Amino acid sequence: MIIVLVAVALLLIITISMYNGLIRKKNEVDNAFGGIDVQLKKRYDLIPNLISTVKQYMTHERELLTKVTELRSKAMGGSLSNDEKVDIDNQITHTMKGIMVAVENYPELKANQNFLNLQRTMNEVESQISAARRAYNSAVTDFNNGIQTFPGNMMAGMMKLSAKMVFEIPEVERENINAKDLFNS
Amino acid sequence: MKSIEELRELYENKLKPNLETLESQRKSLKKKYVLIIVVFIATGLIFFIGNNQPSLSFLYYFIPVGVIAFVYLIYKAGLAQNIYRNEFKENVVRAIVKLIDSTWDYDPYGHISHEQYRTSKIFTRGVDRYNGDDLVTGVIEKTDFRLSELHSEYKTQTTDKNGHTRTTWHTIFKGLFAHIDFNKEIKGETLVLPDTAEKWFGSFGKKLQSMSGRGKLIKLENVEFEKLFVVYGSDQIEARYILTPSIMEAMVTIVRKYNKNVFFSFIGSRVYFAIGFKEDLFEPRIFKSGLRFEDMQKMNEQFSIIQTIIHEMNLNTRIWTKD
Repeated sequence: MIIVLVAVALLLIITISMYNGLIRKKNEVDNAFGGIDVQLKKRYDLIPNLISTVKQYMTHERELLTKVTELRSKAMGGSLSNDEKVDIDNQITHTMKGIMVAVENYPELKANQNFLNLQRTMNEVESQISAARRAYNSAVTDFNNGIQTFPGNMMAGMMKLSAKMVFEIPEVERENINAKDLFNS
Repeated sequence: MKSIEELRELYENKLKPNLETLESQRKSLKKKYVLIIVVFIATGLIFFIGNNQPSLSFLYYFIPVGVIAFVYLIYKAGLAQNIYRNEFKENVVRAIVKLIDSTWDYDPYGHISHEQYRTSKIFTRGVDRYNGDDLVTGVIEKTDFRLSELHSEYKTQTTDKNGHTRTTWHTIFKGLFAHIDFNKEIKGETLVLPDTAEKWFGSFGKKLQSMSGRGKLIKLENVEFEKLFVVYGSDQIEARYILTPSIMEAMVTIVRKYNKNVFFSFIGSRVYFAIGFKEDLFEPRIFKSGLRFEDMQKMNEQFSIIQTIIHEMNLNTRIWTKD
């Protein structure tokens, strides 16, 4: 009789700890996504400054600048699903890279102190975004491991948890930025 | 690191001529040590013979002579050793440091302070004895650094049933320790330590590590890196901000190059670096020829570790907000 009770108690403890473990991993993922959000906001805050600094010099890239401003408004507009957020963020990354490439053609702009400071801040924000993405991927991998390996996968089924996607570098970013393409787009 | 040719030039033209003084000091020191051993053995023999041959017990009178001679010789040898060592550090080690970079400062008896050692949080064990020497301070382009040899120890005491206490000393860390200006702003703390648990225990070791209490366990993507190191940090994102894929590669390269236990920590605005060595560094030989070219090469390599670190980790790339 006692053995049965002990076995049931043990089973209960194990079940509880598995459940808690999965909940924790899921929360870790949400936390990490929040971390990315924080860094992205920093980047959005920098964009107006960037636009105003380069606008005076960059006469040929009006379209790029407008595009970035539009994307920014969309991103900050709120009520976007996580996937939409990621998509817009990727587009902004791509466009901003294009602007930085174009800057190479404007030696005066390159030497401008305002721009240099801005560039440093942007580098830092980009590094932080990169780090935040990697932290997110790590949390997602941990979560996916938890719900796909035995015995977690049985628990996950009952909790209706499904695997999440890691942040992938979009194809768009992986290609080398061809400045000509950008100006034609 | 300077080229072999430059080193050989230094060796042939500047150091070898000075070596005569150094060599004669060394030989006289060696003689003293040999004499000490002889006296010790002789005294021991006298005692032994005196014990077993009562007829020769008059020999016992020589024992105090032996003991006095022994103590006196040890004292003289100690003095001579200090002079010899000092001569070596001033003429040979200093020359090597200046050859690598003439703007670097060399203090033969200075070392990284105990506070800095503690600030690094690499070695958390309480220290009972702390020693070091060969302090080098300098700047490489935009990055300043301080580097020295360190030896930190803790003691354990056992008391046996007769009330005798025996103290045993254990080494916490022995080797080269440096702190360097880091090129990014850091708010928290990140530790990169050799991964002993995973080596011994595999993935169960990873589980143990997460309970270690040195901060959050940070799991990174570089497989080679993860095999060699375990990372703890106060913030998951900041740890990755610091440990970019290229920095992780750099750390793997450093371990592979020197094949020793290597430790890093990132706190405040500095990166702390430690590399363990079993032997004493930058010390002159006593029993064999004092200065061989290979010894110089080794010292040159060891001082150049700081250049390798700064170069591999791109610490002179200042494109973020820290100058």
